[in-house]
Amino acid sequence: MVEKLTAIAMPRAIWSGALSFGLVNIPVKLVSATSKKRVSFNQLHEPDHARIRYDKVCSADGESVPKEEIVKGYKVGKGEYVVVTDEELEAIEPEASRNIEVQEFVELADVDPLHFDSSYYLVPGEAAIKPYTLLRRAMEEAGRVGIARLVMRSREHLVAVRPHGDALVLHTMHYADEVRTPAVALEDVDLAPVELGDKEVATAVQLIDALSAPFEPADYEDEYRTRVLELVRAKAEGETVEVRAEKTKPAERTEDLLEALQASLSSVKAGGNGAKT
Amino acid sequence: MRIGERTLSVSNLDKVLFPKAGWTKAHLLDHAVRIAPVMLPHLEGRAVAFVRFPDGVDRPGFHQKEVPRSAPAWLATTEHWSRSGKGAHRSPVLDEPAALVWAANLAAIEIHPVLARETAPDNPTHAVFDLDPGPGTGILTCAGIALELRAALEGIGLASVVKTSGGKGLHVHVPLAPVHSFAVVRAFARTVSEVLARRAPERLTTTMAKPAREGRVFLDWQQNLRSKTTVAPYSLRARDPPTVATPLAWGELEQALSVGDEALLTFGPDEVVARLEEHGDLLAPLLASRQRLVFGRAPV
Repeated sequence: MVEKLTAIAMPRAIWSGALSFGLVNIPVKLVSATSKKRVSFNQLHEPDHARIRYDKVCSADGESVPKEEIVKGYKVGKGEYVVVTDEELEAIEPEASRNIEVQEFVELADVDPLHFDSSYYLVPGEAAIKPYTLLRRAMEEAGRVGIARLVMRSREHLVAVRPHGDALVLHTMHYADEVRTPAVALEDVDLAPVELGDKEVATAVQLIDALSAPFEPADYEDEYRTRVLELVRAKAEGETVEVRAEKTKPAERTEDLLEALQASLSSVKAGGNGAKT
Repeated sequence: MRIGERTLSVSNLDKVLFPKAGWTKAHLLDHAVRIAPVMLPHLEGRAVAFVRFPDGVDRPGFHQKEVPRSAPAWLATTEHWSRSGKGAHRSPVLDEPAALVWAANLAAIEIHPVLARETAPDNPTHAVFDLDPGPGTGILTCAGIALELRAALEGIGLASVVKTSGGKGLHVHVPLAPVHSFAVVRAFARTVSEVLARRAPERLTTTMAKPAREGRVFLDWQQNLRSKTTVAPYSLRARDPPTVATPLAWGELEQALSVGDEALLTFGPDEVVARLEEHGDLLAPLLASRQRLVFGRAPV
């Protein structure tokens, strides 16, 4: 179980089609370039460790609602919704396209990292290795990245294609109206009136120079995740928390308070039951 | 406005926060000043969460655990771990009258401290049992259970104190020396609760599920966690007219039970201030307890 948490998943193609610019057409597949490694837990009911499941209920009467009775509502005002059907949404979906059509090539430095969302590798089809390599090489020499549109899972994405080592990488990008401006995010502070002396700036730059180093991502690790995994591993080896159907152990069924406390507190002391804060 | 050495700006003093009672923010500030001497010792060195009702208690309020950006520079703060364990945030610490008034000015009607002080954040200063009446029961049913709980605790050598939740329930607190881990205190509260529930299954449950609570008091031991907060003694509750989480003498529970009068266990802000003359701080035992959870052969 613990092994599964640390293993790196083999990437699977999530889209296939062609990358095209001008008259060139390169069959490609998309695979994720990153994988989230957050440790996730299941929710259990403390008294019996049964799995917690979600129940969708109607807020008006508290009753469970079957899937077929759930529709989409877009909030237009307080307590006011416009109901939209799946058919209506399907009718206006972007045309399914198997093409990543490069519209223009721009300077990488002109694309602010704020715009980047998810990253994918473009994997060329076997017959396409040559044009793929040619495009990659040309972009590298020109120092440019391609801006294109990609339709994936019935959503149209703005994407950037750029060389990375021997491969091409594709980043989905946030649309301009999805990126907040500093004026909005920092509206509570006024940065304008601050005056800086030349000497102050020079000293700060010196400090930065002193701490400068090439970026080595491998030097950093998610220490919290490591600790969580160590905790889970230790518990899995020593004391497995199993899903129990039985509600209470017979030994705990005493009505003698002192006896019950002696049992429960010594088990906590030994690092057992209930030892979480 | 000046309070001691502190100067703080207050706003919208005539804003009505409790429409039925006609209570404005000015009333809230006045109450904060009057209650400060007994309330502050219970908040000293503890992260607190607020329940704020800037538009009055008849409008939706919100919980706030982090220090608001507008907080004055002199306000004490402490690091507190969030419930999910994903990280710490800075919470306010209310350790002087001006801080209490500052909170009142935010319309922080309810103040909920954590169970441990920042000097020993892993060791609660008390265990809390939350008695919550299910449908068909009320605060008098809770009073009966609270007295049984007190007797059971006495039987194992532990003193306890009681306060109203300010609503329909009661909180029983077991003062502790800050030497036990949350795990130990939680196991203690759980075991006591489950044993009591086995003795009186028809009147008591430790199950949170709604059906089990029908006609029973829900004895909740699950609040004994580092991340959880419980309403502070003397805190107002967001009810209209306002009520207060009021410390009680055990005799008051017996009396209310014997005459069968729920009203004897509900107090408003003015009544609570008036009670201080007669009772002083009935929860003073919570402030510096030496009680330990040591039971016979298994010292912990």
